[in-house]
Amino acid sequence: MKNRTGSPSQIKPFFSIAFYSLRAMLRNRATVFFGFAFPLIFISVFGLFGGNGVSLTVGIPDSLQKGSMYEALSGSKAIKVEGGSEVELQKKLVQGRIAGVLKLEETASSIQLSISQADPQQAAAVTSLISGVVNKLNLKLANITNPPISLDIREVSGRDFKFIDFFLPGIIGFALLATAVPNTAFGLIFLKKTLVLKRIFATPTKGSTILVGQAASRLIIVLAQALVILGVGVVAFNFNLVHGFFTVTDILILSVIGLFSFLGFGLFVAGLSNEENTVAPIAQLIILPQFLVAGTFFPVDALPAWIQPAVNTLPLAFFNTAIRKITVEGLSFDHLLPQLLGLAVWSIIAYAAASRTFKWE
Amino acid sequence: MVKKYEDLLAVDNISFNVQEGEIFGLLGPNGAGKTTTLEIIETLRKPTSGKVTVDGLDVSDHSWDVKSKIGVQLQSAGFYPDLTLIELLKMFAALYQVEVDDPVKILAKFNLEEKKKSYWQKLSGGQKQRFSLATTLIHNPKIVFLDEPTTGLDPQARVHLWDEIRKIHKEGRTIVLTTHYMQEAEELCNRVAIMDQGKIIKTGSPKDLIDELIASGFRKEQEVKQADMEDVFLNLTGRHLREE
Repeated sequence: MKNRTGSPSQIKPFFSIAFYSLRAMLRNRATVFFGFAFPLIFISVFGLFGGNGVSLTVGIPDSLQKGSMYEALSGSKAIKVEGGSEVELQKKLVQGRIAGVLKLEETASSIQLSISQADPQQAAAVTSLISGVVNKLNLKLANITNPPISLDIREVSGRDFKFIDFFLPGIIGFALLATAVPNTAFGLIFLKKTLVLKRIFATPTKGSTILVGQAASRLIIVLAQALVILGVGVVAFNFNLVHGFFTVTDILILSVIGLFSFLGFGLFVAGLSNEENTVAPIAQLIILPQFLVAGTFFPVDALPAWIQPAVNTLPLAFFNTAIRKITVEGLSFDHLLPQLLGLAVWSIIAYAAASRTFKWE
Repeated sequence: MVKKYEDLLAVDNISFNVQEGEIFGLLGPNGAGKTTTLEIIETLRKPTSGKVTVDGLDVSDHSWDVKSKIGVQLQSAGFYPDLTLIELLKMFAALYQVEVDDPVKILAKFNLEEKKKSYWQKLSGGQKQRFSLATTLIHNPKIVFLDEPTTGLDPQARVHLWDEIRKIHKEGRTIVLTTHYMQEAEELCNRVAIMDQGKIIKTGSPKDLIDELIASGFRKEQEVKQADMEDVFLNLTGRHLREE
């Protein structure tokens, strides 16, 4: 056995690489533009569009869309009626995409409202809305025009849901993907090409320290991006933080998970070639389609049904669904398991591919 | 030591020693295998076969210790272009795990004090080489490797860098450098090894090698001049450093 010496402590080199990479990145115009200015421009442009609030959506099976109750509901501004089969509506309710499902009997003497426990706030809103309408109808059916207790029924509106509330989480996802893939890939290729990495390898610093340091600097960038986007969203466009501070921390935690999952793709791309021009189309191929279809600008639901299952398995779609569960539906992390699992599977694929392509020179 | 790249024999069974305290030159045309040889000693490449010892330590078994002990100036090494010289020095001090009290003092030693807040990418060629030398010496190494330190420099910058190299040699360091400028080898080196096509074809002091050649009957056809074009150039343009 040869008596080999181990590497010295990597703590100092790690902090040094993380700190100075971050510093260099923040001085780089491309990073600042694509990481911060670009997402904010998007937010501003789309934030100015459509401030029209979307009301609560209640599902009523197609076959039951008739009668006085149905007419009363469909005339209400606070309620949007969605049709479909009972099974479909039940599924959407479970997923939290509609607030409740209403079953009206022919005779209109019995009404069944199903609500989802997934979102107590939405459930409460829809319950009070429907019971309001039911009370009104009851009075009318009993021919009481002057009730002993005057019940002044007012519409209870659901959560004020604006386009920015949908759009902003998607932009956080996009900024994250842009930092993790093209920024990381081009950054590493640049360091290889300009022999910065080679010079660092002549010091007692391990390769893994360099990679973890680089990742840490991007972690700071990603957290800063999320905070800046959220800050501008809240201040300028009245973005809704369902649980305030806790929603912010949940978004940050999810961003960290998303970054580590997406970084694998950045490493994979960085290993494909040492020429920026060669990898640029591949980096674009990874981010652009996801940016366009995976729920940044419009919900995946708006795509043709046959393509939705495929789109929903894209890494960015998992992230966007997860972040919207936090921001739009106010759900906690235990409701994000399918998405977190999806991201985990993608990161295994990405890191496995990266370990095959990645080269230090 | 042997280094094979797929079908190319870059270093072909060479063997040499460098004495403590000397300036040793590895000479040869481009592609002779100088850089590969140096990078194997610097732990940046693994030899295909052979054994390399630096200050009593086997390079492949003790690469971390060797890295901490030696100072390395790579041929055309890069630094983060968006960091200032001060920041880069602090970064390298941390990578070598040494404390640096005053990075400005180090820069002053290499005539770079005024450039302390400049970005590396804004430096001239000579300034880049001097800064690279500053990072090479930041952890006060006993042994220093310089790969073509003066390639691409103008005569003023070259003469100035020779002075720097003499200075760090006087501080008691052993220096191994590569060059394809024979004047540089004659000026600086105590001993040289001449490499060609991966082989060392001759080792000795510049004076001995010249004497040996003359003894074999070789005569320059030109008459010996009291000065050469380099002297003319430096006499006309002065010896002070230019920075573009």
